[in-house]
Amino acid sequence: MATKEHRLVNVLGVEKNDFNRLTVKRHSFNWKKLKDGFVIYKLSLIGDDDILGVIALKYYPPEERTEIKLLAVSAENKGKNKRYERIAGCLIAFAGREAIRIYGRYPCLSLIPKTELKEHYISKYGMIDGGWQLYLEDAPLFRVINEYLP
Amino acid sequence: MSIKKLFEQYSPEELAESFVFPVKLTAKQQREASEQLAKHRAKRRAEMTEAEKLNLRLLQLKFRLEDYITGDQYNPEYTFGYFLEQYLQLANRKKKEFAGDIQIHETQLSQMLKDRREPNNSVMVRLELHSNNIIPAVSWFKLLEKEKAYQLKTDKSLRDKESRYVTHNLQLV
Repeated sequence: MATKEHRLVNVLGVEKNDFNRLTVKRHSFNWKKLKDGFVIYKLSLIGDDDILGVIALKYYPPEERTEIKLLAVSAENKGKNKRYERIAGCLIAFAGREAIRIYGRYPCLSLIPKTELKEHYISKYGMIDGGWQLYLEDAPLFRVINEYLP
Repeated sequence: MSIKKLFEQYSPEELAESFVFPVKLTAKQQREASEQLAKHRAKRRAEMTEAEKLNLRLLQLKFRLEDYITGDQYNPEYTFGYFLEQYLQLANRKKKEFAGDIQIHETQLSQMLKDRREPNNSVMVRLELHSNNIIPAVSWFKLLEKEKAYQLKTDKSLRDKESRYVTHNLQLV
């Protein structure tokens, strides 16, 4: 059961020596493979450098768009018995905040969903159906940021 | 754990709360995906209200300001006056109009924009209210604080001047 306790978190860029701690066993993917060509962020509790979630982003400045290429919460934070909730939401909101900060007038955050998960991203994060891709911009993007990064 | 196993072990809802999986598209699908998204976005953009556009610009300024005040770097250009000028521009308010909005004298506003006068707490709260609470007074306060901290940290002449008033300073190895 996830804790009801609210904890403050930090989202910071992944550094070179973090990759040794980002294991397939705990963080589901080989993050080292994304070292080049992607911007990777990690989420930790403030005052504790244990990595609870990771997100890999690809920027498309001419489109004013950031794409979430990969996201994973740590092993103990998924499923019914997760320790903390909202880790993925905080990472998605952070990526949206970055998109707003970086781009000009029409920032956009997108992802290509697995078909089975599409409707859940829509209901959970208010994502907009853009065909192959789901995306967040303007009011739906503001809502996610307000919800997860108040 | 492979993606297939994750799908066996967890519900789609649980997976959407924990992952964005890699999806490989063929070149044709990728092209299609880009075109579809561009089309959807263009439609939304055309329907975007002026209020939503303003909200977006305001959030951009808020995040820039927040990142600056929480970051380690000091930038002499990023003064209170600089961010206030940015705010006026995005709000599309002339100096006279804005001074009227927050009921201060236009001269006071001009002096703040040129960093020749510091805002008091009332002005910072009025700025917060004017932004519909998007940019909190405390962000303006911390911006001023950052400037002051830098000045205090780097003021050599003040240190030279004050050193004559300090005796028996601790001798450490």
